[in-house]
Amino acid sequence: MFKKCLLGLATLVSFFAFVSTVNAAEPHYTITTDATYAPFTFQDKNSNYVGIEQDTMKAIAKRENFTYTMRPMSYNSAAQLVSNGQADGIIAGMSITPERKEVYDFSTPYYKTGVAWIVRKNSKIKSLNDLKGQTVALKTGTAASEYGKSLQAEYGFKVKYFNDTDTMYNDVVVGNSAATFEDMPVIQYAIKNGMALKVMNVNKPGNAGSYGFAVEKGKNKILLASFNHGFAAIKKDGTYDKIVAKYLGASQATFSGTKKDNSSIWGIMTSNRAALLKGLWQTLELTVIAIILASVWGVLLGVLGVSEYRWVRAISTTIIYIFRGLPLMVLAFFIYIGLPGVTGVKIPAFTAGIITLILNEGAYTGAFVRGGFEAVNRGQMEAARSLGLPYGSAMRRVIMPQGLRIMVPSFINQFIITLKDTSILSAIGLLELTQTGTLIVARNSQGFRVWAIIAVIYLIVITLLTWLSNWVEKKLK
Amino acid sequence: MMSEIQKKVKVHVEKVNKSYGENHVLRDISLDIAENEVVVMIGPSGSGKSTFLRMLNQLETPDNGTIVVDGFDISEKATDINKVRENIGMVFQNFNLFNNYTVLENIMLAPVELGKLDKVAAEKKARELLKTVDLVDKADVSVNSLSGGQKQRIAIARALAMEPDVMLFDEPTSALDPEMVGDVLEVMKNLAESGMTMIIVTHEMGFAKQVADRVVFFEAGKIQESGVPEQVFNAPKNERLQEFLSKVMHA
Repeated sequence: MFKKCLLGLATLVSFFAFVSTVNAAEPHYTITTDATYAPFTFQDKNSNYVGIEQDTMKAIAKRENFTYTMRPMSYNSAAQLVSNGQADGIIAGMSITPERKEVYDFSTPYYKTGVAWIVRKNSKIKSLNDLKGQTVALKTGTAASEYGKSLQAEYGFKVKYFNDTDTMYNDVVVGNSAATFEDMPVIQYAIKNGMALKVMNVNKPGNAGSYGFAVEKGKNKILLASFNHGFAAIKKDGTYDKIVAKYLGASQATFSGTKKDNSSIWGIMTSNRAALLKGLWQTLELTVIAIILASVWGVLLGVLGVSEYRWVRAISTTIIYIFRGLPLMVLAFFIYIGLPGVTGVKIPAFTAGIITLILNEGAYTGAFVRGGFEAVNRGQMEAARSLGLPYGSAMRRVIMPQGLRIMVPSFINQFIITLKDTSILSAIGLLELTQTGTLIVARNSQGFRVWAIIAVIYLIVITLLTWLSNWVEKKLK
Repeated sequence: MMSEIQKKVKVHVEKVNKSYGENHVLRDISLDIAENEVVVMIGPSGSGKSTFLRMLNQLETPDNGTIVVDGFDISEKATDINKVRENIGMVFQNFNLFNNYTVLENIMLAPVELGKLDKVAAEKKARELLKTVDLVDKADVSVNSLSGGQKQRIAIARALAMEPDVMLFDEPTSALDPEMVGDVLEVMKNLAESGMTMIIVTHEMGFAKQVADRVVFFEAGKIQESGVPEQVFNAPKNERLQEFLSKVMHA
């Protein structure tokens, strides 16, 4: 039976791998981006990715006859996927720096920028000197954060890192952090749209530089040439200026909906209904597939863990030790970003997410399954063996049925943990419920309301899952 | 003496030792048990009698020495212990009935699983065995609903379902309420009368007197004295046996 399950698992994994490698005849690229970066890239009220970068990319692709899949994720993941060859290009407000030129080849700059330093609207801070001993919020891996970090020693502030723009802004708005550093156009757009912050150096941006589209160094030369060629063309014919004017000239309401849409929980829910349902569906899909496969894998590990043979037990123990010891996010990054860099095989985010959950949740399941088998009274085994039953039959007929019954509450617990753990996979860009929340907040800045909605959705699903599990438990008894 | 030697030897134990760390539980034990013989092993707790019994079907393995059951040398690694165990029934102090099965299923499991009988034949046999232990009406109940005495009688029936030619009993009545003991001993007595080779560890001296062909006294990992019940109980030679008997008989 377990052989069959393993076979099924292998088929499933290879199926995901196969789907991802199917290519159209036209050049097709995978482009990564950070979708919490208005006005350059963000999600509009219809869940479309829009912004200066998105419109520019679209215009260029049309002219240069290529197609692409846009993959929104955290800035760091977006950058790493390109540097290790998992994605072809990145357009995510990436400043052109000498260090980055070691790793990436950049296009001609598409936007001139500089770093702003920003405080809360009614803050008493007047100069960088006032930041001494205070906390400054920075976004990991950005040029703005590097600029901020370079001032740390001089002005003596503490640094706190964030993974996305909006959480970072809000940390300053609510006063947890005293200041932040951000690219000038980005913060200007956010302030224009009601973020309660102010820029302290409008006329003197730090580290003035430019954004560029980037590919892995030495790779994707055709894509880079197409971008440059296309960009020159849309710059010349005025298309690009129109795009910039469209975003910097308009208020956020144009893209994220009216005040009414965003000022109540009900308004947010109705205006984001499609996005929320899609995110919920993705979460459920991840949860159900992971629960099934992780349980199969975990039971297998548990069975191996009580094998007659010491070396088989050792294999099980080692696997459980490794994957129980790894934080889920580390494992996800390792599988999604780390492994393909070595093996050269691209893994779709969904597959990577599922594999991550199987390995992590499966290890926990394996541990309690083994524990459950071991918890069955030793006399049961002795009695079965005394009748002449071989170890395997005694396990299968006597120990396992009793052990599994002991484990039912542990399984239910693990199912709920699995559901919650899917949220960690937002880090590799899976558009599940949590990532959906991140994107909505990036657009409408309604952190409290949006996260309240997301939290309630999780609670409802978990309640349903618990009811279902309890019903199954009763049936088993 | 002549008649005993002519009988077939069922269990042959020679110079068996067993230690748990510093604790030398069995010291150079040698013992032969003949077919149809009923041997009762007595002695204070910790004397090694239970360990000795559990060695006869390899629930414990000896450190050295030879154990031959039914002609199979089970101290030999190459011996298929599962095959040997099929012919040795074991009854435990704590019954160890399979909690996940009904009474009938407990009795049927081994013959069906090991291909001795098909399901129909196994069920027929199980019901017959329930008759011999006087528990026909309990066939379909969960084992957890039984009293201790009933559980032990089912455990005996379960062992008999494999048609063993040796039965081992490890303190079969020690976990029972006093009023349950009689029923279990009755079943064992009938079994002894039917000619089963039985090796019994027990504290029931009355039963030993009545049923045993031979009584073996264990103390400090050694067989201190053995003989027919009349001799062991009425004219003990060993000092420690005298001491032991004076304690248990007057308790």
